[in-house]
Amino acid sequence: MQSLVEESAATEQQTEFNSVISAKRVNVFYGDTQALTNVDLEVPENQITSLIGPSGCGKSTFLRCLNRMNDTVDGCRVEGEILLDGVDIYGPGVDEVLLRARVGMVFQKPNPFPKSIYDNVAYGPRIHGLAANKDELDEMVLTSLEKAGLINEVQNRLHSTGTSLSGGQQQRLCIARALAVQPEIILMDEPCSALDPIATAKVEELIEELKENYSIIIVTHSMQQAARISQKTAFFHLGEVVEVGDTEKIFTSPSDERTQGYITGRFG
Amino acid sequence: MSFFPLVIVLLLMCTAGYWYGSKKALSGVRNNSTSKFITSRPHQFGIYVFIWGMIPPVLLGLIWVVMKLTAGNLDQGLVQQIENVVFPVAIMLGAGAGLYFSIGRISPDLRVRKTIETLVYGVLIIASTISILTTVGIVLSLMFETVQFFGKVPLSEFFFGLTWSPQTALRADQVGSSGAFGSIPLFLGTMLITFIAMCVAVPLGLMSAIYMTEYASDRFRAVVKPLLEILAGIPTVVYGFFAALTVGVFFRDAGDAVGIAVSSESALAAGVVMGMMIIPFVSSLSDDIIMAVPQSLRDGSYGLGATKSETVRKVILPAALPGIVGAVLLAVSRAIGETMIVVMAAGFAANLTANPLEAVTTVTVQIVGLLVGDQEFDSAKTLAAFALALVLFVVTLTLNVIALLVVRKYREKYD
Repeated sequence: MQSLVEESAATEQQTEFNSVISAKRVNVFYGDTQALTNVDLEVPENQITSLIGPSGCGKSTFLRCLNRMNDTVDGCRVEGEILLDGVDIYGPGVDEVLLRARVGMVFQKPNPFPKSIYDNVAYGPRIHGLAANKDELDEMVLTSLEKAGLINEVQNRLHSTGTSLSGGQQQRLCIARALAVQPEIILMDEPCSALDPIATAKVEELIEELKENYSIIIVTHSMQQAARISQKTAFFHLGEVVEVGDTEKIFTSPSDERTQGYITGRFG
Repeated sequence: MSFFPLVIVLLLMCTAGYWYGSKKALSGVRNNSTSKFITSRPHQFGIYVFIWGMIPPVLLGLIWVVMKLTAGNLDQGLVQQIENVVFPVAIMLGAGAGLYFSIGRISPDLRVRKTIETLVYGVLIIASTISILTTVGIVLSLMFETVQFFGKVPLSEFFFGLTWSPQTALRADQVGSSGAFGSIPLFLGTMLITFIAMCVAVPLGLMSAIYMTEYASDRFRAVVKPLLEILAGIPTVVYGFFAALTVGVFFRDAGDAVGIAVSSESALAAGVVMGMMIIPFVSSLSDDIIMAVPQSLRDGSYGLGATKSETVRKVILPAALPGIVGAVLLAVSRAIGETMIVVMAAGFAANLTANPLEAVTTVTVQIVGLLVGDQEFDSAKTLAAFALALVLFVVTLTLNVIALLVVRKYREKYD
């Protein structure tokens, strides 16, 4: 805790917060290529943190480190520490399968399973044995759909396939599916980039509601989106974190010239 | 001049015409300043000249053949003389005239592109219909012979008869061998062996495909996948004697050891070896289908905290199932049509049994048996082969159609 306080003091632009994830000197390599260099980042609890930066800057790579999705990529190597509740998630004895249950993920392209809407949401509770019986499972599915704001649109057709929904509905189904596992943290990898503006607005509204109960980290290409919904913003460039701070501060008076250049549209 | 030198000279002439035509088209542009472009590509002018060079000789050749065929009795000496002297000269002159005419017409404004492209289009259509027409021809010939067969043997006997013993009398005075043409034992035998083959091929093939796509490292995959596909290149006759001499004997000895009577030519041996043969077929098709399941579905499942095996069982296999069913149906139709292994390992005895330890026979084996050796082509015995072949054809065709429909339906889902 001591070091945490010191770091917060060092980066003065940040307001006080409890951090739920803290990454320390994280380096990621794909084979011989280094994708991330010495990334330090504190993720606040029950807030939305957005990761912005030009394509290929490593923001998605960093996001995928947080639930060890990079383990599924051949030749990917992660160095450094990522602490979740004080435990290094890359340390010995950490089960990446259980980690992913605690740290849920929503992807860029809506990817519902080719199953019914009900089965999509019930997938997580079923594999983790969260429901003792059918009634509990029903309850979980309905609550998750409700939290994801999808219940009114699908309650009459829970057993039609998930792929029959529209793009925005599919993405909210994927969010419901992640919520059903009852994670503590939700990672979102450009969740709106495949959606039209109306669907985007709905998903953004949903994300803002979710921050009451979850810590959310969102990778986005849209700076307006980052400015609209997040409290913290981290700017990534060429595999490094250039600047982290309160969203308002980053977008109004960034201290680094590269951040300034990116948010004013000079590159990226 | 005999035929081949004539053809070669002709081709050389026309090739020269092709070359000259392309050149002339290009130089025409340089000399003619009205436009920077020519209406057609240079090589199309070349093809235009080439074709004009070929048309008169081909027509002359056709006319000569038709004349010879229709004229009846001709003086052989005269024919010889025409073929040796007049005909080659006529052909050369014709080709020359065609080349001269077409080269004379070449100008940058001559529109030959449309014509040449239509011609190419026609050639492509012909190429693609040849195999279809061949198939139609095969079916028609099968049908005619089959109709003849059913003139001698009643439909009901063929489709519902329980005994197969196609020995007809060799001489009219022989008795007691009028033959029995009940095809049920053959189709049951085919089904039995196919079933055994599928019991071997589907689990092994599918599991190897799952291992290859989901678990194996890229390097392992790069080595083992081609190796597995080599299995598909082994001639079936090799599998056949492997089945007859090794597997069949092994099953018989193993049966003896535990006190079960296993025939040395058993359906089991043939089916197991046929299954081995089909494994690469099933695994390579399933491999492609599993690979086609989008990575995003795997990510989605892992992201929810599913393990690899849960992901395979609950997401990948259900998503790939229609495609896998298609692959299995294709494999079944291969197994049904397979002949060599069964000839060597299962024998000719048409037993009506569901016991895999006994010898059975299949439709394809009987077709071989019916047609091998000196046969009259109008006896019920040989005609039976055509009837069997037709039924077999209909069965495998139906299976293939269903398989393709299933696979196609599956493809649409991810596009």
